[in-house]
Amino acid sequence: MDIAELKKKWAGWTFDEVRFEIEAEPLAEFSLACGETLPRYTDPQDPNFQAAPSFAARFHGDRALPEGFPSDREASFDGGKAVDWKAPIRPGDTLIARSHIHDIFEKTGRSGGMMFIVHRMEFSNQNDEIVSIVDWKMIRKL
Amino acid sequence: MSDQKVVLGYGDVSFGDELPEVIPDVSMPMVRRFGETTGMTYWRFTDHEKAREAGLPGAIVPGIMSQGILVSLIHRWAPEASVLKIDTIFRAPVVVDSRPTCRGVVTDMDDEKRTVELDLTLSNEEGETRVLGTALVSL
Repeated sequence: MDIAELKKKWAGWTFDEVRFEIEAEPLAEFSLACGETLPRYTDPQDPNFQAAPSFAARFHGDRALPEGFPSDREASFDGGKAVDWKAPIRPGDTLIARSHIHDIFEKTGRSGGMMFIVHRMEFSNQNDEIVSIVDWKMIRKL
Repeated sequence: MSDQKVVLGYGDVSFGDELPEVIPDVSMPMVRRFGETTGMTYWRFTDHEKAREAGLPGAIVPGIMSQGILVSLIHRWAPEASVLKIDTIFRAPVVVDSRPTCRGVVTDMDDEKRTVELDLTLSNEEGETRVLGTALVSL
């Protein structure tokens, strides 16, 4: 598999767009289940109530990979998630999440070559302000 | 050994400081609570028996719950902190109903931006790292 060709063809363009309406209770429940104790993350009555910084990682788009991409999601395993917090997510927000392949690269380890696919979801709110960027690494053996 | 001071600002932090350890609640009721609010109610998270039949060591904690647990560790250490970035690698499963430990250490500091970088781990009872991460935190 030519990784450079794959990246040239598939990276950098939006293949999925999903909308999420944000409500208070799921924000608080996410925080409480993760052990948060600060009222700004757990108490909807707090004047600064907002989502925990990693909250956006819970969302999925309609597709993990673009239609026709030559690798099944099922053939890969989860290499981890990174969340860039940009601005608070609050109840009443409407988020638009746009997905694209941010990067494709190869690494060689003891067990051979591995392909890394970095799936990026960018979340914007109703004011077109980017609130969170979530990178999800999918790893596949070559 | 970790001291138990609460960090109120950048001036309270030194390079190499350890965050107070936390033993998070990864009991089945808590994982189900997380699953109910996120839609992650798959058997691999909620059913020990089915998970073992599938070759897992038991039901496993969702990766993003482990990530959220590491964020909460930072907030317990520094309640006013803003977590600007957290990057986690799910190296191996964290088993539901186990007793893992969260740890963190300050690995870099930026005096101008008043930010710190942290190395974070979630380890099992045997001390094996199951989830590791880094975070960039503004104080």
